[in-house]
Amino acid sequence: MLKYLIIQLDSTSTSFCHYAVNRREPCLMPLDTLRKAIRWSMIENVNVQFLYPEYPLPAEYADAIETIDHVKIMQATAADAGKADIVVFDGIASVDADSLSEDMSIVVRTGKKAFFAEYAMLNAILPKVSRLNVVITDIASFADDDFTTYEAALTELAVAVKNEYVGNHPVQFNLLTDRIMLKEMNNCGAGSESLTLAPNGRFYVCPAFYFDDESDSVGDIDNGPSLKNPQLYKLGYAPICRVCDAFHCHRCVWLNRRTTLEVNTPSHEQCATAHIERNASRRLLEAIREVGEFLPGMEIPEIDYIDPFENVRIDR
Amino acid sequence: MNEEKLKIKEDAQQWEGGVAKNITFIVTKDCQLACKYCYLVGKNEEERMSWEVAKQAIDYIFDHENDFPERSVVFDFIGGEPFLEIDLIERICDYIKTELFRRQHHWFDSYRFSFSTNGINYDTQKVQRFIEKNASHLSIGITIDGTQRKHDLNRIWKGDGPERGSYNDVVRNIPLWLSQFPGGGTKVTISSADIPYIRESVLHLYSLGIHEVNINVVFEDVWQEGDDRRFEEQLMLLADDIIDGDYYKDYSCSFFSERIGKPLDPVKENNNWCGAGRMLSIDAAGNFYPCTRFAAYSLREKRPIIIGNVRDGINKNRLRPFLTLDRTTQSPQECVDCEVASGCAWCQGENYDAAETPTVYQRSTAICLMHKARVRANNYYWNRLFRKLEKDGSREEFEQNKRNVKPEIC
Ligand code: SF4
Ligand code: SF4
Repeated sequence: MLKYLIIQLDSTSTSFCHYAVNRREPCLMPLDTLRKAIRWSMIENVNVQFLYPEYPLPAEYADAIETIDHVKIMQATAADAGKADIVVFDGIASVDADSLSEDMSIVVRTGKKAFFAEYAMLNAILPKVSRLNVVITDIASFADDDFTTYEAALTELAVAVKNEYVGNHPVQFNLLTDRIMLKEMNNCGAGSESLTLAPNGRFYVCPAFYFDDESDSVGDIDNGPSLKNPQLYKLGYAPICRVCDAFHCHRCVWLNRRTTLEVNTPSHEQCATAHIERNASRRLLEAIREVGEFLPGMEIPEIDYIDPFENVRIDR
Repeated sequence: MNEEKLKIKEDAQQWEGGVAKNITFIVTKDCQLACKYCYLVGKNEEERMSWEVAKQAIDYIFDHENDFPERSVVFDFIGGEPFLEIDLIERICDYIKTELFRRQHHWFDSYRFSFSTNGINYDTQKVQRFIEKNASHLSIGITIDGTQRKHDLNRIWKGDGPERGSYNDVVRNIPLWLSQFPGGGTKVTISSADIPYIRESVLHLYSLGIHEVNINVVFEDVWQEGDDRRFEEQLMLLADDIIDGDYYKDYSCSFFSERIGKPLDPVKENNNWCGAGRMLSIDAAGNFYPCTRFAAYSLREKRPIIIGNVRDGINKNRLRPFLTLDRTTQSPQECVDCEVASGCAWCQGENYDAAETPTVYQRSTAICLMHKARVRANNYYWNRLFRKLEKDGSREEFEQNKRNVKPEIC
């Protein structure tokens, strides 16, 4: 069931996920489209998330936005960043830990190489925020050595996270604590739980699909969404994911399509990184429990694979 | 000579065991014929495989032995018409044999070369020399569609001018082919216009000495209103002829199978029908495909699905959707709940080509009514046959001797 509408206010609105914004020229959503989108969201009873551009919005836009309950997602460098509910940083090094406050939710987008070089800086960020989402944008480029490096990095970061929990600051960190809190899949949900409305008034599975190919829309605000093969975005129609317990995994349908050509099929790299996170979360859970009781009843079993594909492939 | 014949037949049955990897060389996209039902929309005379590409493909496959753990291998050569490229094929096969031996590869002596040909060049010196040289590792099927009028309805020569059927050019080679492959079967494809000729065609093929007739309706959405009823009538007439003429003792027709027309368990009987992704096809450009049907020349609507090439190897991520596809995930609920689902086939390539989005996960059900008609005629066939056998007291003997016809996996 559709729960969220992501409204991309401008063609240069910030990315908060794997995809890159490839438009240079700003193109603001017409006010009329914005008003229709707000009305549609109220009728369909969906939560709204606005993706902001860098520049300040005209006053009538700001007024329209305030007519509906919503979440504001902005780049840290955006003109109105102070009003954001979720602040996006491009690169770990661009985060000034001193400027953060404990109620902040931040997203840090980083490439693999930069993550490996800079992840230690997250130790200073973790005590300062309530939630940290790290998105490694080029997961598809992970090679065998990278998996090893990634595991070592998460093991190190887990020490900092444990200290936060022991020090009574239960910070949420997507790579290490989300899995600990989950008993079932909680993924990105693009195409099943969420859709995106682009500035052109058309729906897309998510902003990444808009940036890839503007003609790849799934309906428009006047006629409503019309997603073909909608079942393929649901967990039950994803043969690998439906048997998986990396519940925190992004399960990015856009990356799926890019790497395997099917929205319901993840790449090896997506699965392996999610399992390295899952297993690091399991060890973190054990480590926190060494200090005291923590989330009784939540268990992450030990497993001997890092890619559930191996368990479901039909040719072996 | 008789012993040799027997060996080929035994081999053929053993090779139907389904443990082999299928590797297909699309050696040419050219053909002498322009069959009207041919799914190859992009046939042409230019795209012929070079020796360099073929060698690179073989080297890649043999260099990555661990990625091909199947016990055996079938090297398929298709076109267009593969025998147009007999010189290249001979060179490829010689190289494969040498390399299997040199590398002590686990497929050494567990390989087969397979051809599906239009039969026109079958008796040429070059093809015959190739057959002689590779006889113990060879299977060849000649496509003949039935009676002359049925065959010539679709299987016509390429070119401008008045339509010219190819029946006479093929049928003259059937005795030679059957003398070399006595268990040889033929593939017959049924489209809407062929329905009235099904009965006479199968009987005609039997009369030519072909004991195994693998016959399918096309998967494409070509069916007209009333085709299912006409199809059922033809199959009922054919059923009567096979039973009354005692052909069931020694001949088979894949339309009639005891295994079709039953409900399927969504968990225990959830296999994919099609072998796409477990096979590997290579085209003249050196691109790899999960099956030939995903190459550009086979697709009407969609972009090809390329899973790698001879230089960079296989992109394993692109194989994942194929290797995790099951029946229920790609089927509409109507098929999951269907009371007669067993034997209702699909082609992954046609599913992809006909799907509303570029996915292999949307099953085309264009053959639904045709399958249901087949099931009704099939019920009639077995009820009539078993009754006859029981009355004759020969049911037990039939059960012991019946030809083991497996539904053909594409
Ligand atoms: S780890 Fe792989 S199988 Fe599991 S949810 Fe993520 S993408 Fe799906
Ligand atoms: S296509 Fe028709 S006959 Fe075949 S399984 Fe589906 S519902 Fe049954």
